[in-house]
Amino acid sequence: MPAVLNLVLTATSPAPAAPLPELAQTHKLARKQPRAVGAVAWQGLRSWAADWLLAWSLAWVVPLLLLALWSVCSHYEWIALQVLPSPQQVWTTLVDLTRSGELLDNLQISAVRVLYGFGIGASVGLALGVGLGLSRSFNAYVFPLFKAISQVPVIGWLPLLMLLVGIDEALKFLLIAKAALVPVAVNTCQGIQGVANAHVEVAKVFRFTRWQLLSKVVFPAATAQIWNGLRYGFTHAWLALVVVELLASSEGIGFMIVYGRQLFQLDIVLAAVVVVGVLGYLIDKLLGAAESHLLRWRKPGL
Amino acid sequence: MTFLHLNKLRGLVLPAALLLLWWLAVDRQWSTSPILVSPVAVWDRAVLQVSSGELWAALSASLWRDAQGFVIGTLAGLLFGSLLGGSRWFEKLLGPSFHTLKQISLFAWIPLLSVWFGLGDSAKIAFIAMAAFFPVVLNTFEGFRSVPRELIEVARVFAFTPLQLWRRVVLPAAAPSIFTGIHLSLIYTWLATLGAEYLLVSGKGIGNTLIDGREHFWMDLVLFGVLVIGAVGYALNHALSLIEKRLLAWRQKTIAQY
Amino acid sequence: MNRRIGLWALALGLLGTAFVQAQEVKTDAPAVIRIGVATGGVGNPIRHGGTSTALAYADKAIEEEFRKDGTKVEWIFFKGAGPAVNEALVNKQLDLAWQGDLPSIVHRAAGVKTKIILGSGVRNGLYLGVSPDSDIRRIEDLRGKRVSVFKGTNLHLAAVRALADHGLKEKDVKLINLDPAASAAALASKDIDASFDYVGLFNLRDKGLAKIIWSAHEDNFKYTRQTVLLVTDEFAAKHAKAVERVVKVVVKYAHKYSDENRRAELFDAWGKAEYPDKIWREDFIGQPLRVRLSPLLDPFLVARYKDAANEAFELKLTRAKPEIDSWFDSRYLNAALKELKLEGYWPAYAANGQQVGR
Repeated sequence: MPAVLNLVLTATSPAPAAPLPELAQTHKLARKQPRAVGAVAWQGLRSWAADWLLAWSLAWVVPLLLLALWSVCSHYEWIALQVLPSPQQVWTTLVDLTRSGELLDNLQISAVRVLYGFGIGASVGLALGVGLGLSRSFNAYVFPLFKAISQVPVIGWLPLLMLLVGIDEALKFLLIAKAALVPVAVNTCQGIQGVANAHVEVAKVFRFTRWQLLSKVVFPAATAQIWNGLRYGFTHAWLALVVVELLASSEGIGFMIVYGRQLFQLDIVLAAVVVVGVLGYLIDKLLGAAESHLLRWRKPGL
Repeated sequence: MTFLHLNKLRGLVLPAALLLLWWLAVDRQWSTSPILVSPVAVWDRAVLQVSSGELWAALSASLWRDAQGFVIGTLAGLLFGSLLGGSRWFEKLLGPSFHTLKQISLFAWIPLLSVWFGLGDSAKIAFIAMAAFFPVVLNTFEGFRSVPRELIEVARVFAFTPLQLWRRVVLPAAAPSIFTGIHLSLIYTWLATLGAEYLLVSGKGIGNTLIDGREHFWMDLVLFGVLVIGAVGYALNHALSLIEKRLLAWRQKTIAQY
Repeated sequence: MNRRIGLWALALGLLGTAFVQAQEVKTDAPAVIRIGVATGGVGNPIRHGGTSTALAYADKAIEEEFRKDGTKVEWIFFKGAGPAVNEALVNKQLDLAWQGDLPSIVHRAAGVKTKIILGSGVRNGLYLGVSPDSDIRRIEDLRGKRVSVFKGTNLHLAAVRALADHGLKEKDVKLINLDPAASAAALASKDIDASFDYVGLFNLRDKGLAKIIWSAHEDNFKYTRQTVLLVTDEFAAKHAKAVERVVKVVVKYAHKYSDENRRAELFDAWGKAEYPDKIWREDFIGQPLRVRLSPLLDPFLVARYKDAANEAFELKLTRAKPEIDSWFDSRYLNAALKELKLEGYWPAYAANGQQVGR
């Protein structure tokens, strides 16, 4: 498999925070001095909280500075208000849109689209990836075509799909599914193929049946990779959703952005961008949490 | 040797079958849709586009925009990523903001860029640069963070100057990750180039060719465009893989090649 | 000796004044005039028709007018129509703009400073097209259906007005934003149920892909759309004379083709652009050329814009109601009419649609 498909594996989210030494010490002390445990635990918690508070407040320095700069900018109109509406305006718009229910309606429609599309794409991608990973002959027949198709970015397929299926919901589901399919399939395949030989040999020694081999060795080992693929797939699906809604839709978040653009109401555009960002962030965090849960048996560190 | 040959042939079975099916569908008129065209029509259109020089004009415009955006975004990304990775303070201050901004789906920025830059190529180039920026920063940051402690400690023992530390320890250790970032950025910039041409419609480009085809119901032009896009994507990836192989030849591949 | 110095001083003085004079003439004519047109046109080089400005474009008349000044005239066509022109205006990338009523009101409400100097494409029609086998017969039948309209353009405002007057809010109908080409494609492939558009629908109808069930001209004049030529305040301040000359050129074309004897010639000229001549002809049935090609900034036009501003505000398409009266700047038009001795040639109409006494 060419290096181009390897890279989807190696780009990961930032490394988790280092384990806290204080808690380890606390355990040791707990056996020696039961009464002082409370005090030490409290100290440990305090310093951990202090660290967290410091990190959290530092994180907010730059955004708050930028927000202040933005407010000042729009107050003195250094940049025309049509080009950069004031933060207050964006906030008011956001509140208005939520209150009138418009935001939630559009969000719901977009969310349904992306979930359906991602569901389809991820399932097909998983199936394809498993097939490609496990069966040599399937790989030989299907992989070259798959690789060729994946060379064309999701966007490139849009006009063709528009011609073939029109601009209805089918277009959106298909495009989102395709966007999710490639990363999921590639990562699944790589994950399965990347299972260490040593593990497979041990399983052979224990005379595992094929099913046992798959469920106890291959899939747990591949889970990390597969989950990575799912996260990537979701980012791509979200991207495809925004594009297709920008181009041909009558409702949805992308549609709100287009509406704001056509009527020169940049505050609607900015409000929608904020919502898109927050939503993307939440879902990514959700997927990350699910990943940690699924891989909790893994020891931290490389 | 024969096994390898057979392997390669097996890969062609499915595409050949699909091509045959397509040709039959048009020839036997299994579908009455007026849009469906035969593979021959696509070939004819391809010949026409190449010989009239239209393909070159559109493709060169797209690639030029792609290159500009790619260079700007990647350089900015390398700088920002190194700062994030190298300085703890920088990371504490700007890291969270960056990770949040990265979550905003790329194409949501387009209307804003359109209003901030107006007419012309600058909006598109800004967008492409953004598309390049995020993956490069992430992977450069990862690369810097994943430099093994032991190596840095050894360098300290040898009293390396910061410059030596950088050149001899940090950069080589981070290089594979950085290259992954550049590779990803190449993919994303090509994606962004096309998307920008759809949404910021002005000027020439291969994306505009696709849109034209769709508007006039010329499926042969659209299919031709898709083929060209795929070919360019493949060529870019391949070129970068070759460069990567040369530059990182000293490093043993930890992932087996299939 | 004194005489020599005196002669040199005189010579230098003359040279100096001549130089200064030359400079003054040069600074009056701009180096480049950027005209934005709120439509995409077709082909390469772009062909565009339908108004007096389009005629001037096709004949390269403005380029000809400014040739001796060495001024370059740049025509920039926007597939994104009015809204895209607004984006360029905000970034100060245009000097003159040909744009419809809604997008102009939008940019005025947003604070972009322009002046309306010429009517070009007034009382343009609006049509509702549906699939040939559709059971939609009236606007009321559009409830819950997928309807395309190019949002942010004057098509949008007119369409929303028509819907409102027939008891439908924008939410009652699934309004999809599509540009004319995409809209035609979508209607032909039945992806949408109906489309509010201009003469492009006639094109589809002639190909058997659509039928037209409603026309603004037949319903009420308040559903017609207006398009004007605007100039940015900046450009007008620096090059007032140039603006006057541009207006004069377009007025000449408006005059030439307001002659009923030239009706066939007019549609032939437009027929070389986006659509064949008979398509354009249909939008003008029963309407005298003198009315449709009128460049006058008469009370009727001002009233249409005031109405448009009010309704756009009520229909929540804009957030502010900009002041309209001072937006119209008739000085250039009046000067051009005077120079060409065309005062009184075109009938002026009052706000209620009645002709003002000559």
